[in-house]
This record gives sequence, C-alpha cells and structure tokens, in this order.
Amino acid sequence: MRKNLRYAFILFAICAICALILAYANSITAPVIAAHDAQAQEDALNPLANGYQIESVIALSNDKTVVGYYPLTEDKKQVGAILILKGSGYGGEFTLLGSYKLTGEILGAKMLSDSETPGLGKKSEESWYMMKFVGTGLAIPVPTSKSMLSKEDSDAVSGASVTFGGVSKALAYGSEYAKKLGGAK
Amino acid sequence: MSGKNHLREFTKGFLEENPTFVIVLGLCPTLGVSTQVSNGLGMGLSALFVLFFSNIIISSLRKVIPDSIHIPAYIVIISALVTLIQMFLHAFVPSLYASLGVYLPLIVVNCIILGRAEAFASKYGVLDSALDALGMGLGLTMNLVLISLIREVLGNGTITLFPVGSWSGVINVPVLHTYPVRVMALASGALLLMGYLKAIFDVFMNRKKDK
Repeated sequence: MRKNLRYAFILFAICAICALILAYANSITAPVIAAHDAQAQEDALNPLANGYQIESVIALSNDKTVVGYYPLTEDKKQVGAILILKGSGYGGEFTLLGSYKLTGEILGAKMLSDSETPGLGKKSEESWYMMKFVGTGLAIPVPTSKSMLSKEDSDAVSGASVTFGGVSKALAYGSEYAKKLGGAK
Repeated sequence: MSGKNHLREFTKGFLEENPTFVIVLGLCPTLGVSTQVSNGLGMGLSALFVLFFSNIIISSLRKVIPDSIHIPAYIVIISALVTLIQMFLHAFVPSLYASLGVYLPLIVVNCIILGRAEAFASKYGVLDSALDALGMGLGLTMNLVLISLIREVLGNGTITLFPVGSWSGVINVPVLHTYPVRVMALASGALLLMGYLKAIFDVFMNRKKDK
C-alpha cells in the first residue's frame, strides 16, 4: 500500500511539474497563435469574396458543420455567404472556408487549418485542390465521391480519399446551408 | 568514463548505431515527412530537441523513478516536451508547424525517443545521456535531410529550404522541375529509396568492418 502511494506521488509530481511548465508555455504562445489564426482567416476571406462586400461574422452554435458565416452583400443586399465549415479528415478535425451564392453554388474554398498527412491530405491546402468544387452545388452536384470527378482530378486526390471525402462532404453540406440562407426549405 | 568513451557515445549515432539505417527505428515519420528538405530538417531538429531534453531529464531522475512505473513516467516527460515544441513551432514557425502536421505530435511515440530513454538514459549518467541524444538526434536529422533531398529533387524537381526576406526558399532544379520522377514523392518512392540507402549503408559498414 505504502509502495503504491509512493509510486502515485512520484507520477503525480512529474505530471504536476509538466503541467506547470506547459501552462507557462501556453500563456506565452496562445496569444501569438490566436493572432496568426485571425490573420490567416482575414487573408483567406478577400480572395473568396468574388468582389462582393464582406460583412461581420455571424457565429452559430447550433450546427456542428457550419460554425459561423460572413454574409456577402452587393448594394446592401445579401447575395451569398462565406461559411466557416468544420469537417473531419484523416488527421482529425479541419476548418475550411467555403464561399457560396445563395443558390448554393460554390464560388471558392480554402483550407484554414488541418492536421492532414504531408504530401497526401495536405494537398487540400493548395488552391488547385479546391478548383474541382468551384461552380458546383447548383446545376452540377458537389462531387462527394471520386467517381464524380474527372480522371485527372481523381488521380490528384488518390492516396488521400479520406481527406477528399471530408472536404467534399463539408462543402456539400455548406451548399445546402447556403440555399437555406437564400430562403430554400 | 574516459574522454574517448564520451566521444564514442556522441559519434555512434552517425554510423555504427545509426537510428534509421542500422537500428531501423522511427521509420514512420522518416518516410512520412521526407517530402521536402525543410520538413526533414524541421522534424530532425524537433526530434533532436525532444531526445536531448528527455535523455537529460530521464537520466537525472533515473534513481527517483521506480522500475514499475518507468514507462508512464517517461511518456509523460516525452509528451510534455513534444507539446512544448508543438506550441512554440505553432506560434513562431507556423509554416513548419503546418508542414509537419500529424507527425509532430507523433514524436511522442517515436521509437527512437523512448528507445534511447529505455536503453541508455535510464542506465547512464547525464553527460553520456546528453551526448548519446545529440549523436542520435544529429544522425536522425542527417538521415532525414538526405532522404528528403533525394526525394524532393527527383520527385518534385525542387529543393525547399526556409524563406529568407523576399526569397521564397525554393530552388528549382533544371529538367527535373519540368519532368519529375513522381513516384519518389509518393510513399512507395520513400520505401524504395529507403531500401537502396540501407543497402548502400550496409555495404559501406561491412567494408569498414573488414578493414
């Protein structure tokens, strides 16, 4: 019993010291990381606006995929939205921005943060990766499986099917959400 | 321990106990991140940092940590160091943090780190453990840079270093940039290259032994 208590105390002491050091490191790095994230989000918004005016963000708490959106307006009338989408890839949760017209048509998309595999799922961070989704969501459905892609696009996502599945499902969901914002039921 | 032995603890990680080509440990991140030179260098230096401090801490505490709880104690120490480097890279080198992705937290379960803690730091003094970590860490960094360089040059026709001022840090290799050997950028290319490099390394080491 006494031996077990000694072991528990040693482990507790190691954990407590580690936690204290990490808490101090977090107090130094957390504000810098938050500033980076805010800057990255701001930098990503303008190219996705397609010339429309970007309004202030509206945060949502009742949706697991769409956690917020920036309304896109023209002459003070809402014509679209940039949705902040959460999805799940091979490396866990990712955040991406999807720009939509209120008809559900995708205007553009950009991966904001992810933990995908370098050389495979990480390709989703590159601008060409999202081009296969642009223009879909209205007449052409959002491609949610590799069979809906051209051979070239299908080859480009090979080796990272889980990432493609996560990104495409989030964008397809966003398209339906944008339609609802436009008044569709 | 004599000065010669101290030197041996440092140099063994480069050739005779090379972590990648002789002990064959930590292959998952080695093959996974070696797509760009900057990734290989970043991963190597991150692992070196964790290895160096984990060996020093574990060696200092070797008489305090009982045998029956040494694995959880080592894992807590190693994961705290990995989390520390993860926080600082995320804050101050975000591009490298993004490139390393999932492999950065996976340093916690890198066999080289736990292997050296278990096989060396838990048995020897602080100086030798620090030298062992430096040698092994530098050996791993050297391997990662070599594999990344060959894979990136052949598979992408580029050499990606770190951006400095207005320079992007990317060097384009003539001909290969236009006609890359794509298989080298894929996982299969990494395995193929690893096999050839290990064979070359074995031949070199065998010739050295024969002499």
